[in-house]
Amino acid sequence: MKVEGRKLAKSKTALDFKKGKDIIKDIRKAKYLYLLLLPGIIYYIVFHYFPMGGVIIAFKEYKANLGILGSPWIGLKNYSFVFKDPAFFNALKNTLVISVQRLIFQFPFPVIIALFFNEIRDGVYKRVLQTVFTFPHFLSWVIVAGILVNFMSFNGALNNIAELLGFERKSFLSDVNLFRPMLYITENWKNAGWQSIIYLAAITSISQEQYEAAEIDGCSRFKKMIFVTIPNIQNTIIILFILAVGRIMNAGFEQIFNMQNPAVKDISDILDTYIYRITFMGPADFSFSTAIGLFKSIINFILITATDRIAKGFGEEGLF
Amino acid sequence: MHKRKKKRILHGRIDAFSVFIYITLGLWGLIILYPFYNAILISMVSQYEYLNTPFMLFPKNIDLTAYNVLLQGNRLLVGYRTTLIILLLGVPLNMFLTIGMAYPLSRNRFPGQKMIFYFVVFSMLFSGGLIPLYLVVRNLGLTNNILAIILITGINTFYLILMKNYFSSIPVSLEESAKIDGANDLYILFVIMLPLAKPILATVLLFYTVDRWNEWFYPMIFLRNRNMIPLQMILRNIVFETTSNEIADAAVGYRVQVFSDGIKMAAITLTMTPIMIVYPFVQKYFMKGIMLGSVKG
Repeated sequence: MKVEGRKLAKSKTALDFKKGKDIIKDIRKAKYLYLLLLPGIIYYIVFHYFPMGGVIIAFKEYKANLGILGSPWIGLKNYSFVFKDPAFFNALKNTLVISVQRLIFQFPFPVIIALFFNEIRDGVYKRVLQTVFTFPHFLSWVIVAGILVNFMSFNGALNNIAELLGFERKSFLSDVNLFRPMLYITENWKNAGWQSIIYLAAITSISQEQYEAAEIDGCSRFKKMIFVTIPNIQNTIIILFILAVGRIMNAGFEQIFNMQNPAVKDISDILDTYIYRITFMGPADFSFSTAIGLFKSIINFILITATDRIAKGFGEEGLF
Repeated sequence: MHKRKKKRILHGRIDAFSVFIYITLGLWGLIILYPFYNAILISMVSQYEYLNTPFMLFPKNIDLTAYNVLLQGNRLLVGYRTTLIILLLGVPLNMFLTIGMAYPLSRNRFPGQKMIFYFVVFSMLFSGGLIPLYLVVRNLGLTNNILAIILITGINTFYLILMKNYFSSIPVSLEESAKIDGANDLYILFVIMLPLAKPILATVLLFYTVDRWNEWFYPMIFLRNRNMIPLQMILRNIVFETTSNEIADAAVGYRVQVFSDGIKMAAITLTMTPIMIVYPFVQKYFMKGIMLGSVKG
């Protein structure tokens, strides 16, 4: 499988710029392009790169009256506090466990939806379903959590239905054994339809001939799905899986933040919610919080670049 | 819309499996729809009916008290107004910044193009984190200022890449002939490229609009002025309070006894209705955007 590489890097014209005097001419020729780029570049510098510089307070003892530059250096001392903090390790553990569980239980669902959806004939039913499936993706977790927390409350509709069917009522969201599974189910409820579109796009590019060949061999619909559709989108699945692995340090802040409650805090606190809590809810030690954030960002960076490279090895361009 | 070749993947074979699929997907559709329906129902019935009807399919009596209460206060008004300001200032800024970068980056004929692209992409890989961003905003004097919200999410790098890829697919020959006729890059962008890029422009515009409508996190961190809070934050305050008085305070601005769940669901309904109405019509733009993005990697 060939690695395609980036289109830009290999073009010969890129090399022409290195020719001394010509650079100035090229710059002048492209002056309007630079003008167009300027506002965006300023944006990135101010709101992305300045904050990147600000992480040095992870190695300082930040005091508001001294500012970023004036605060004293204390080297790795913040990290000695961080790594002695049980709440930090709990948050780290939860982050990893939840992310891995998402990969196992949550990840396959959009694939299945795409596979099933592909088997439906085009028509009103399909179009309506597609609208319904993809719609919740465009709502914020504030809205969705508001609806679902009420829906799954002890006296809410879900429990009412359960009782009518003969089951007993459960505290879906305040039971430590049920909260995480509910996270994965509700995440799929909101986003699986939308995520299935990528797989659907891959499926539509499968040639008809393969299906016709399978038909001749007497394959049922189910067998065709297993032996034709799945192998063809195998690469897409693998790549998306690898990219998801690259994101395990982000276990879904928006969702968890809006669905969390004190009863399940211990098993649902992830790094991001932990950082938020210690920064904005209580006496804030900016250096401490930044140290944790930096730790997370570095691991994130390593994971994402590594997994992106692995994904490229499977023949796609990854994300970059 | 060009006509797509109709894909008959499986030739009308109706076996048990296809029945299973039709039903399963239909069930999933109902599972998605019912909580929404339920929420809207709760917003439209009295507390009495809510407590005494275990499984509501149709309301016995429609009671719009919750909506009346909400509309009496000014919280929702503040929310809608602030969100509209964010939209009207933010989305054009988003488009301006994104187009401004996407087009040049799609043309590889100037020094530093690769470097700038890496510069942009790197911001997706590494972030300084929340506190440094907070400090930057504070140093700019923008805490508690709506401008902070508008500027922080100035460019979504993913959408930028999407747009850049689309521009890349427009043939260079168009530019070359325009340049021969003496046009400069600005003319080429505005007169030639943008009209050709209408699909991606529409898609990205919609994505940004939805993102702006749903923004709640940065407002929560940076905005403290009770009269300048976006809709999602007002909603959040209403939905996550537990006592009736607090809920009322969040919902209308003063404390009064209310039907808590009814108010919450009414507020949710009023917040999501615009999207619910508009979505079916713009759905195809979102789907096209993702397809374009995934095909081009």
